[in-house]
Amino acid sequence: MKKIYCDIKKCLGCGSCEIACAVEHSRSKTLDIAIKEELLPIKRRKAQFIDKGRAISTGCHHCEDAACVTACMSAAMYKDKKTGQTMHDADKCIGCWMCIMSCPFGALTRERQEKVIVKCDLCPDRDVLALPAGRPACVEACHTKALFLGTLEEFKVRT
Amino acid sequence: MRYAIIGSSAAGISAVEAIRSKDKEAAITVISDEKTPLYSRCLISYLLAGTIDKDKIWIRPDNFFKKNKVEAILGVRAEKIDTESKEVRLENREKIRFDRLLIATGSSPKLEDIPGKDKKRVFPLRTLGHAVEIQSVLDKVKSVAVLGGGLIGLRAAYALKSRGKDVSVFVRSPQILSQIIDKESAGIMQRHIEKKGIKIFTGRSAKEIKGKDSVEGLVLDNGSNIDCQLVVVGKGVSPNIETAKEAGIKTNWGIVVDQFLKTSDDNIFAAGDVSESYDIALEEKTINAIWPVACEQGRAAGLNMSGENQVYDGTLAMNSIEFFGLPVISIGITRPKKDIYKEIVRKNLDKNVYKKIVLRDNIIVGAVFVNAIEQIGVIGALIKNKVNIKDAEDIVLEDYFDYGKIVNIIKDSKGAFKQKEFTETIMTA
Repeated sequence: MKKIYCDIKKCLGCGSCEIACAVEHSRSKTLDIAIKEELLPIKRRKAQFIDKGRAISTGCHHCEDAACVTACMSAAMYKDKKTGQTMHDADKCIGCWMCIMSCPFGALTRERQEKVIVKCDLCPDRDVLALPAGRPACVEACHTKALFLGTLEEFKVRT
Repeated sequence: MRYAIIGSSAAGISAVEAIRSKDKEAAITVISDEKTPLYSRCLISYLLAGTIDKDKIWIRPDNFFKKNKVEAILGVRAEKIDTESKEVRLENREKIRFDRLLIATGSSPKLEDIPGKDKKRVFPLRTLGHAVEIQSVLDKVKSVAVLGGGLIGLRAAYALKSRGKDVSVFVRSPQILSQIIDKESAGIMQRHIEKKGIKIFTGRSAKEIKGKDSVEGLVLDNGSNIDCQLVVVGKGVSPNIETAKEAGIKTNWGIVVDQFLKTSDDNIFAAGDVSESYDIALEEKTINAIWPVACEQGRAAGLNMSGENQVYDGTLAMNSIEFFGLPVISIGITRPKKDIYKEIVRKNLDKNVYKKIVLRDNIIVGAVFVNAIEQIGVIGALIKNKVNIKDAEDIVLEDYFDYGKIVNIIKDSKGAFKQKEFTETIMTA
């Protein structure tokens, strides 16, 4: 499936992906307005340091055999059979945090007002899986091209 | 091939889907003593609390059986399993033949043997039926007594408090949630719950339920009297093993299964709350009666029933609970009883933050996190994959701990982390 990969050799841990992600998931989709929104937008991706000088940008990996989907007791988390994406239905989510308990990547965040989970949704407003030139906000914002949207095979032979 | 499945909750449903993914045509019969299965058992306390409507508790569409070409026999109990003739006999005398059988009969609430337990308005909280029954008597109820301070007892207490009732919880153990978390984290949770107006009495149990036909009060073990019009019993569950036991299938606490979820009979499998299987942290067989395990086991059993040879790595105790905005998550062993275990704790009690890991020979075998729960799944990965974390011991409880910090551990483990997404993330490391 198509998803977001991070090249650790290129990642600086600068956090541009985090900001772009939060802005994309804001109401205004504009940084200077987004920071004043009543409910601050939540990033679904984190630049994490591995050791001195090396970093990785981590978000939902849309695991093939997704532990969060198995653990979800309200059927809010599910796999899209066509794209392989791990989807989340906020209407069904009851905020039990079973997915947080089971995600080996720590890729889920609590939205405490609504009491639901937020996670990487591959930027639905950008339609990145359907449009050939479509790119998620984090990939677009990555200065060093560490972040990559594509299949595993495409990631392996990227230039 | 004819498949029969007894039980239609998490394990049963997952097994149906697994079998259908391999075999589109074979006959599948599902037998359930519940008339309306396909709901999430974990959600009934949310329904009782009024947090969700009834239409939100369904986890599969109502045409699930039809769509999967399943003959569903609902509201009927399976009474007997004949392993020789390969038949399940139902309470209505009907017989269901099978080539492969899955026993996913789950567990039943333990009802305390306490005088007065048969009075009206004494309920367990296990099925949708119980939640509906409790709801139907609520207008006659001002005060509620909950017997048991485990997950179900406290969920019931929370639900009824949300309904405006005066709620008291009586817990025989010295702490709440004693099967799930350790004493200190339980103390944090208890103080938080009490602040929100639920009364909790630890080290206290009921000796008698009083009243004419219906509940009017309790007599406690110290002799004092409590007024209440509703009693909810949340004393844990015991596995429904009777039919299997009578059929000569090997049982212990639960139905004993191997790494393929197979019972002592080659054609019969067991999954979910009823199955006693290998526990990754304990390194021995036990029952982990939790939703994720039931789903995993149901799926693995379904695949193996349809001819696959999928090894099920084992179960792990895991629970996630939140009361009034304060969450706690536990994984694996949280209350070690032998001195071969070591504990590391970090806490900030002003912020209700508490984190503990339990280690055995430098391998994490358990964790409890209160409030700061977001990264506990990464610890869960370390528990599941059993890596030596001697060099990382100091950092796993720090605020900055996250997936990035275990990238080197995964790389150095040379394949201990089997899930392919781990390999993908460290490809460029």
